[in-house]
Amino acid sequence: MQITRRHRQGVVVSLVAMVDVLMIMLVFFMVTSTYLDLDMIPVAEAAPDGPAQGGVAAVADAATADGPLLIRIGADGRSVFRGVPLEPTALTEMLADARAQDPALEVLVLPSGAADVQALVSAMDAVTRAGVTRVRIIRLEPRP
Amino acid sequence: MKLARPPRRGAPETIVALIDVVFFLLVFFLLVGRMDATAPFEVTPPVALTGADLPGGGATVAIAADGALALDGAALDRAPLMRVIADRLAREPDLRVRINAHAAAPLSGVLPLAAEIEALGASDIVLVVTPGPP
Repeated sequence: MQITRRHRQGVVVSLVAMVDVLMIMLVFFMVTSTYLDLDMIPVAEAAPDGPAQGGVAAVADAATADGPLLIRIGADGRSVFRGVPLEPTALTEMLADARAQDPALEVLVLPSGAADVQALVSAMDAVTRAGVTRVRIIRLEPRP
Repeated sequence: MKLARPPRRGAPETIVALIDVVFFLLVFFLLVGRMDATAPFEVTPPVALTGADLPGGGATVAIAADGALALDGAALDRAPLMRVIADRLAREPDLRVRINAHAAAPLSGVLPLAAEIEALGASDIVLVVTPGPP
């Protein structure tokens, strides 16, 4: 007599362990993630006419070449053009006018070392919004 | 004789739906989260209207409001930081260096650093900003 063996049921895998792991991963990613939307402003890039140089010499060279406009940023973060402090919107309008006369306008930005990064970025913003593409940040270096 | 009726079990909730939801949340946070550009201190990038999209990769130099420095999330002093960047530039001349400076950091601690990194041979230095109204 042959007795048929009962069909054995497959082992049921508990899903609870998997949910536990998923939950821990979820909490990990929620805690470690930052949600800042980040952009960038190029500071130095390989220019066709060589890398931009800082220092006093660069200012002297540029000033004799094509009459670039010099914008200073004071220690309080305000942009100053020819001795007159300008708000960012006024700076943008002034530069847009200047650029309409000279499309190849070059702008030099000379920030005070005491100004903060936000002041420089705001000034760069104003210059970029005026459509000026040739912008250089310069700084004074003590001569050794 | 009164027999106690065994308590009736409710239908087991299906756990599959829960796993689905958790899995979607997991994938969402994986995609949305950004785990680079970190720093051991608080860095709030300056706000800019005209920034370009920040590409990934490269080395990230973080600068705190008080001038503390970090490279790729590890606090470093200036001299060792420059040595590490010089090493990486020697291996990878096209290395992108991202300067993630706090908005209130004085430029006297940021611009000389950028100039020094440029002098090491870096040709692609970008300043990290965050988009929005000033």
